[in-house]
Amino acid sequence: MQGLDAALLARILTRALRRGGDFADVFFEHRLVQTFRLEEGRIREASSSVVRGVGVRLVVGERAGFAYSDNLDENSLLRAAEAASLIARDGRAAGSVADLGAQPAPALYEPHPDEPADSARYVELLARADVAARGFDPHVASVNAFITDELQHVQIATSDGRIVTDRRPLVTLGVQVVAKDGGRRENGYVGDGGRTAIDVYEGRTPESIARESARIATVKLDARDAPAGEMPVVIGPGGGGVLLHEAVGHGLEADFNRTGTSLYSGRVGERVASELVTIYDDGDLLGERGTVAVDDEGTPGSHKVLVEAGILQGYMQDRLNARLMGVASTGSGRRESFRVLPQPRMCNTYMPSGTSTPQEIVGSIERGLYATSFSGGQVEISKGDFVFMIAEGYLIENGRITAPVRGATLVGNGPRAMEKVTMVGNDARLANRSYTCGKGGQRVPVGVGIPTVKLASCTVGGTAR
Amino acid sequence: MNDVRDEALALADETIALMRAAGASDAEATVSVVDRFSCEARGGELTKLQRSRGRTLSVRAFVGTRRAAFSTTDASRDGVAELARRVVAAAAFVGEDPHAGLPDAFADDGVCDHDLFTVAPDVAERDDEEKIAEALGMERTIREADDRITNSQASRVGDAIASWALANTRGFRGVSQGTTVSRSSAPIARDGDRKRIGNYGTAARGWATAEAAQAVALHAVHRALALCGARKPATMRVPVIFERDVAAAVIADVFSALNAANVATGNSWLADRIGARIGSERVTIVDDGRLRGGLGTSPFDAEGTPTRETVVFEGGELRTYLSDVYWGRRLGIASTGNAAGGGVGANNLFLVPGNGTLDDLVANTERGVLVLDTIGFATEHASGVYSRGARGIYIEDGVPMYPIDEFTISSTLPEMLAGIDAVAGDLRFDGTIVSPSFRVAEMTVSGS
Repeated sequence: MQGLDAALLARILTRALRRGGDFADVFFEHRLVQTFRLEEGRIREASSSVVRGVGVRLVVGERAGFAYSDNLDENSLLRAAEAASLIARDGRAAGSVADLGAQPAPALYEPHPDEPADSARYVELLARADVAARGFDPHVASVNAFITDELQHVQIATSDGRIVTDRRPLVTLGVQVVAKDGGRRENGYVGDGGRTAIDVYEGRTPESIARESARIATVKLDARDAPAGEMPVVIGPGGGGVLLHEAVGHGLEADFNRTGTSLYSGRVGERVASELVTIYDDGDLLGERGTVAVDDEGTPGSHKVLVEAGILQGYMQDRLNARLMGVASTGSGRRESFRVLPQPRMCNTYMPSGTSTPQEIVGSIERGLYATSFSGGQVEISKGDFVFMIAEGYLIENGRITAPVRGATLVGNGPRAMEKVTMVGNDARLANRSYTCGKGGQRVPVGVGIPTVKLASCTVGGTAR
Repeated sequence: MNDVRDEALALADETIALMRAAGASDAEATVSVVDRFSCEARGGELTKLQRSRGRTLSVRAFVGTRRAAFSTTDASRDGVAELARRVVAAAAFVGEDPHAGLPDAFADDGVCDHDLFTVAPDVAERDDEEKIAEALGMERTIREADDRITNSQASRVGDAIASWALANTRGFRGVSQGTTVSRSSAPIARDGDRKRIGNYGTAARGWATAEAAQAVALHAVHRALALCGARKPATMRVPVIFERDVAAAVIADVFSALNAANVATGNSWLADRIGARIGSERVTIVDDGRLRGGLGTSPFDAEGTPTRETVVFEGGELRTYLSDVYWGRRLGIASTGNAAGGGVGANNLFLVPGNGTLDDLVANTERGVLVLDTIGFATEHASGVYSRGARGIYIEDGVPMYPIDEFTISSTLPEMLAGIDAVAGDLRFDGTIVSPSFRVAEMTVSGS
């Protein structure tokens, strides 16, 4: 079953609005995920998961009442609606539900079959990754790989009269490699996929993903301890886009701005970055991880200009916050599952190309750090301080990329780091499709991207003495 | 409540029968049912109210020595039968694995006759309106506490009653129940033209034993204000004191290296180190699955193995890893009763406390840094490299001098454990991985 019938949806919405309220919505979800895991050259486990249920929400001003049910019988669903209605506490007249009309979501995903593929196909992809990683270098000590193939059906009914459905595929193949040299161990991880079917691995082969992961792990065996202190930092294209996600993106989510808790609150139209900085968040890029044909509130995913030539243009909005701020939702209302409330979230966040060549950028630095990719990033919203670990990084010496470093962390403050962007490369690209963002305990798939970018200075946390 | 447990056990029993019918040679089913309430207030408004019951069925199946698993929120007979068919079919593509399988035998029938105080009766009894009033009260407290507190990211109050049942085809049948309550607040202080957020939360098995709402709110305010006026420190190598919440996060990183799954796959800096002296003599780390009223306490783990007290580090020496049945077989050790959610988890893992307070640690530090908060998650578990963004207080001559931020602390976990030269006595069991405050003799502080 891929949804509830319109008459039942109307009864649930009517119940949710019975104590009054501004709007109600019902979120139905059915998600099937098929996973295979490989370790030590063998497929160790096959697993499936089904997430199926309904979340009911009532919104009154800035207040949200919420309940979910994994039981789809009418009594359970009406009980959830009743629980959600309790947020309306001032005894107003019942709200009304408009006639529900169905709307299809636009097509923004690559084709995906209704059922998972033959198990043999997943197993073959993993086996190829394993062989490629082991064959890469004799120091490769262990290889773990997984593949997940997911298909999520959602149906969103809103009290203003819409029923929207979406069918979202998502595949990921990830390879983790541990390389060992004497007592020293280093790891590498690379994943890729997207909102598509596993046919994507015919072009982006498991071998290429595995070799990339093995390369990172083995390079780090020769890495020296990272330097500590302030220095110029070059962000590599693609994966370096995590910088934008953490340093700027979260601070532009509407909830933090509507409540005045973000450092970007009330600053639309102001300069928040160097004039070289433009940042977009797109929900409508074909096949990307963060793409949503419609978000989890039924609003189409869209192209948003967050920052243009250093000037803050707007925030990422969900329905509740957009309504209170007097603007339209930008299609940014996303949720991990039917068991939690939607929040304003990023989709695919990136910086378009500038004019410098990557060689000019690296060549301009006498001593600094080159960060290819990041892991474990986090930002503190109110002040804008961010941190992330450099998963792969190198020293820059006399205008050239030289020795690999390990254990480097970048720490800084969002607007101040963005003010220090002094060169932007002509090589913008989106990163591998493997990023997941956490906020308030909810994880959703996202995309990031960036060209080669120079930060004139940033604090590097290293261990070199 | 017994109804919930009985129903859960009946579903688990039915499911293993279905798995057998679908072709599994062995199977294990876990049914968890959670009744959850949460509310959130901001300023004078109740902003969120949630109440739901969720049920999840998780199954592990074995076809000979081939392993398959599924989980679902759709526990209808058709839904379960369909998944059973699917995973048994997929298992044919899984490699033979001699270590895979259910636990061999059970020392305990799992149906607990010993009360571990995991259920506090006041959770089921307390009225939702009281909890709502409490969240609103915390918002008032933070705003009245100091003129600089002008906003917040809300105060939250919530509770949950979790019931679960486990059955397997080797005859294990067990049920258990636990309650949890939580309170948290996130005030925002004005610091010139900047904003400083303070986050503090607590959890316990019941309302009577949880830190009071007022105390939680004031602690959060203290955290927001403590960092007002912070500046960036110079780059230096100095002693670093971890306040107990950030200390607990370090112990959580150590747990990743103790996790038998990571050890067996080489993704742990503690691999091949049993018997080695890793930490200083002050490092004794214990996982106690039977701690009375502990948030990670349970009579048996996710595979039905009875929980126990395991000394992991004793006086700095690594004694054992923490394991479930499978990874234990891979490493040649017995399960320590740490199976959780399809992998290995901590029960109640803690660094054994010393004496004195956090203030004593500060007073005994000539020059150093007290870390109150860290950001970032990245630890390289294969190498043990540790690095975090941090905020805290700069110390000179045993005196807290001024708040500092925008710096990182870095080292490696083995160097940090070896460098723990003082441990305070301020341990509290308000999580499943906890620690008293401690000091590491030397770390790199990277600032300007």
